[in-house]
Amino acid sequence: MRTKKVLLGIVLILYMVLSACGAQPTATPSTAQPTTAPNTEKVTITVWDYYGEATPIKPIIEGFQKEYPNISVNYEALDWDSTLEKLNVVMTGGTPPDVVTIDMTWLPKFAALGAFADLNQLSGGKLNNVAWKDAYTAGGLESITYQNQIVAALYDFDVYALYYRADLFEKKGLSVPKTWAELKEVSAKLAEGDKYKYQWLAETFHGSQWIFENGGSLLSADHKSVTFNAPEAVEAIETYASLLTDKSAIYWGADQGERIQGLKDERIAMFSDGPYNMGIMKSAAPEMAGKWRIALHPAGKQSGSYLGGTGLVIPASSKQQDAAWKFIEYAMRVENQIGVYKYAGAAPALTAALQSPEVNIADPYFGGQKVFEVFLEAMKTAQHFPYVRQWSDVDVAFSQAMEKVGLGQMAVKEALDEAAQTATEALNK
Amino acid sequence: MTAGSVSKRSMQKIQNYLMAYAFIAVPVLSFVVFLLIPMVVSFWWSLNDYNGLQPAKFVGLQNYIELFTKDKNFINALRNTTSFVLLGMGIGPTLGLLTAILLNQKVRFLSIFRTAYYLPVMTSLVVVSTIWVMLYNQNGLFNTLLGSLGFEAVGWLSDPKIALVSVAIASIWQGFGFETVIFLAALQSIPREQYEAAMIDGASGVQQFFYITLPALRPVLAFVYIYGIIGSYQIFDQVFVMTSGGPMQSTSTIVYFLFGKFQDLRLGYASAIAYVLFAILVIFSFIAFKMEKE
Amino acid sequence: MKTQKPFRFYLGRFVLYAVLVVSSITMIIPFYWAVSTSLKMEQFVFSNPPQWFPNPPTLQAYLSVFTRINFGKYFLNSVFVAVITTLGHVFFDTLAAYAFAKLTFPGRDKIFFVLLLGLMVPFQVNLIPLYRIMATLGWTNTYLALIVPNLTSIFGIFMMRQFLKSIPNDLLDAGRIDGCSEFGVFWRIVAPLALPGIATLIILTFMGTWNDFLWPRLVTSSEALFTLPVGLAQLQAKNTSNVAQIMAGTVLTALPMIIVFLFMQRQFIEGMTAGALKE
Repeated sequence: MRTKKVLLGIVLILYMVLSACGAQPTATPSTAQPTTAPNTEKVTITVWDYYGEATPIKPIIEGFQKEYPNISVNYEALDWDSTLEKLNVVMTGGTPPDVVTIDMTWLPKFAALGAFADLNQLSGGKLNNVAWKDAYTAGGLESITYQNQIVAALYDFDVYALYYRADLFEKKGLSVPKTWAELKEVSAKLAEGDKYKYQWLAETFHGSQWIFENGGSLLSADHKSVTFNAPEAVEAIETYASLLTDKSAIYWGADQGERIQGLKDERIAMFSDGPYNMGIMKSAAPEMAGKWRIALHPAGKQSGSYLGGTGLVIPASSKQQDAAWKFIEYAMRVENQIGVYKYAGAAPALTAALQSPEVNIADPYFGGQKVFEVFLEAMKTAQHFPYVRQWSDVDVAFSQAMEKVGLGQMAVKEALDEAAQTATEALNK
Repeated sequence: MTAGSVSKRSMQKIQNYLMAYAFIAVPVLSFVVFLLIPMVVSFWWSLNDYNGLQPAKFVGLQNYIELFTKDKNFINALRNTTSFVLLGMGIGPTLGLLTAILLNQKVRFLSIFRTAYYLPVMTSLVVVSTIWVMLYNQNGLFNTLLGSLGFEAVGWLSDPKIALVSVAIASIWQGFGFETVIFLAALQSIPREQYEAAMIDGASGVQQFFYITLPALRPVLAFVYIYGIIGSYQIFDQVFVMTSGGPMQSTSTIVYFLFGKFQDLRLGYASAIAYVLFAILVIFSFIAFKMEKE
Repeated sequence: MKTQKPFRFYLGRFVLYAVLVVSSITMIIPFYWAVSTSLKMEQFVFSNPPQWFPNPPTLQAYLSVFTRINFGKYFLNSVFVAVITTLGHVFFDTLAAYAFAKLTFPGRDKIFFVLLLGLMVPFQVNLIPLYRIMATLGWTNTYLALIVPNLTSIFGIFMMRQFLKSIPNDLLDAGRIDGCSEFGVFWRIVAPLALPGIATLIILTFMGTWNDFLWPRLVTSSEALFTLPVGLAQLQAKNTSNVAQIMAGTVLTALPMIIVFLFMQRQFIEGMTAGALKE
């Protein structure tokens, strides 16, 4: 009996499979072709959004379409993890979208390959009637400029500042460190056994911050030679590494888990990171409300940070660049930029939006501090990673050197020299 | 009609051939369109300097030469992957076979046990790897256990000497349920009569295993090892989630390394890496295939 | 048989069950952790020491999953794609495997080895050419792209070939003498005997398709076509921690597979092997 049932099942399978195969060719044209509008002036733009369900982009579409009834928006929801891969595939082998959200760390290779349209030209030099240079901080503008072109509109931004446990500082009578020397002193006094340490991360984001703070750089301005092993850079990383030898920092490797765990079990009392981290703390560690504050990361010769975030870009191969630009410009209006904070909890990149009363609020989680003022201040001196085709090679080599230093396997100078050699080889290719 | 029997037989033969070709037609067609064409295209890329956005530039074997003469990270990835495969293939299938044999002992609640072994295979790799990161945590379960036995804590994922082994342990744990299920299915299709006859002849359990079970499992064993080697040479997800290739590239594997080049739009170079891997796997499989035939 | 059960027998059984129980528990722990995390409030997800039991337990994460994304639609898409794909595999893979394992025809082993080559190139590399083929055919963003390229698999053929190899040739010859066509032999003799293998193939294919993320993510762009993993990825926000929600999504994704697995093993593996052997 049972075998009969299975036989019947397989016949059904066969039938379904075969009929599915037979239906394919005829079904194709109707499903693949988007409906063409009768009005020839009407255009459709495709927008890719990687914010997930906390998106600030989806809510503005309705307003945009009211204002531009001849542009219809084909909105496609993506996720941060897979957008780069999908973008790679579509840019190289398909029809790219017209507007894309990209992480600014992806920009180097795309910019170097001329993959994105020049927004300066499309915009006629102005973003919502404000000159580009007035819309952003100097570092912000610099981060979207590549060879005199504007290749992205910075939408939200990421710069690193110092998060610290204000309650512990108060208890021990410590004041917020403003210089490296003070940081060394304060962190030594703060640490107790395995607890209350400065989080030591061995990657380019954090390593570069120290180098920038000492007036150094990763590559020379023409991107032809490596500078992360220059004396000021070596000095910077040596200072960073001395926090580990002082036992006032904790090396955060893969087996330390998520940072938020370190905050909760109090292994970490200070760390450097961007505004996005505030949202994570609020949702995962609400019980720590009031304990943390944010300040500029202590300076060496100057302040410094990497600058990244989200950019809105138009692929160079898009056929609706004008309509796409209208969408970006609409998204960059101050009232819509506020949504970046409201919906996604990120920092809007437009200076005017950042200073608006809706964003620049006293944040009760951080003891009533107006936190965005700190990040805006940090953005003034922050700089983006070099926009060079071989950036990822440089990044990998430098991170590896940082790991060797952090794990105590190599002296700073030696590790950076070795990495510089690898990176130089890559640059000369 | 005089030569009828001969031509009839050859007609029959041709008919049988045609029947066999019909049986494999759909998979072969699917292979050609969805795999072979892409493979030929990507092999062509491996001979080019190509980023997908600008025209390809033919460079001959340049990519391959660079891989072996200049790219220390590639050689490192190759070495790591081989160690990983040796570890995984040395332990995984054996565990799978042992558990399958245990489960084949007329066990009660069989379906519950079998589901248990299979749970990790069904749970997404990301979740499994995330949980292993927790177990490997500096203050996690393993170090707590070691501590209570009086041993020092181990840097499971931060010690460059140990991290690869840690990734391999997690992968074996995650994957051997797959082998359990395959072996179990194969064990269940061995006719009971064979064992009963052997028992009457007074064969011990060990003898039964070596004279009945093992020979019957031969084809499936071949499958598990050949497919296992092909699959584990392509290890990626666990590395991606657990270590990102670190510390100090000690867990960087071939496909993880390739993935980085792909994300960087170095399509020619990435393809060359893939074809080096391809060559390794072809050699392995060819040997295994020959051995299976004997 | 039942007359004497020596002490050794009981000891053996005890050890057997002890090993099974202990090892099963270690296998279940991660999944238990996913379930337990999905029932926690976000603020207790990373608490120290870790919470083994959610305290207080809450269904908040599940509510969020159901209200924030279109779970039902993604679920149906996943079922549709996984079922069609699995049916395709069972039929095409087994049939081809039969040809490779039991029939003789010119070029058999060479063709099989060439097919095997397809397993040896990492998917990453074929992604762009394959996507271009889909775009040329006009299949992107349709069910066709989700289903057709995966309707057969070399893995499945390879696995089934090995299972079928252990079927004695005498049985097939007996069928041929009875006047069965080759397809008849496959249908009446081989397929029933291969049921444990087929059940395994069903499980593996269903699971693989059900969990597949990269390919569906690439070829679908309209939400109406999203499968569960693609739809659930929308929950991962960059700026908030919502591990509990992601775990809830994972549990909801894994549950149907666990049910399929439990069902499969009872209905197919055990029932069918018994049935097939009786014949």
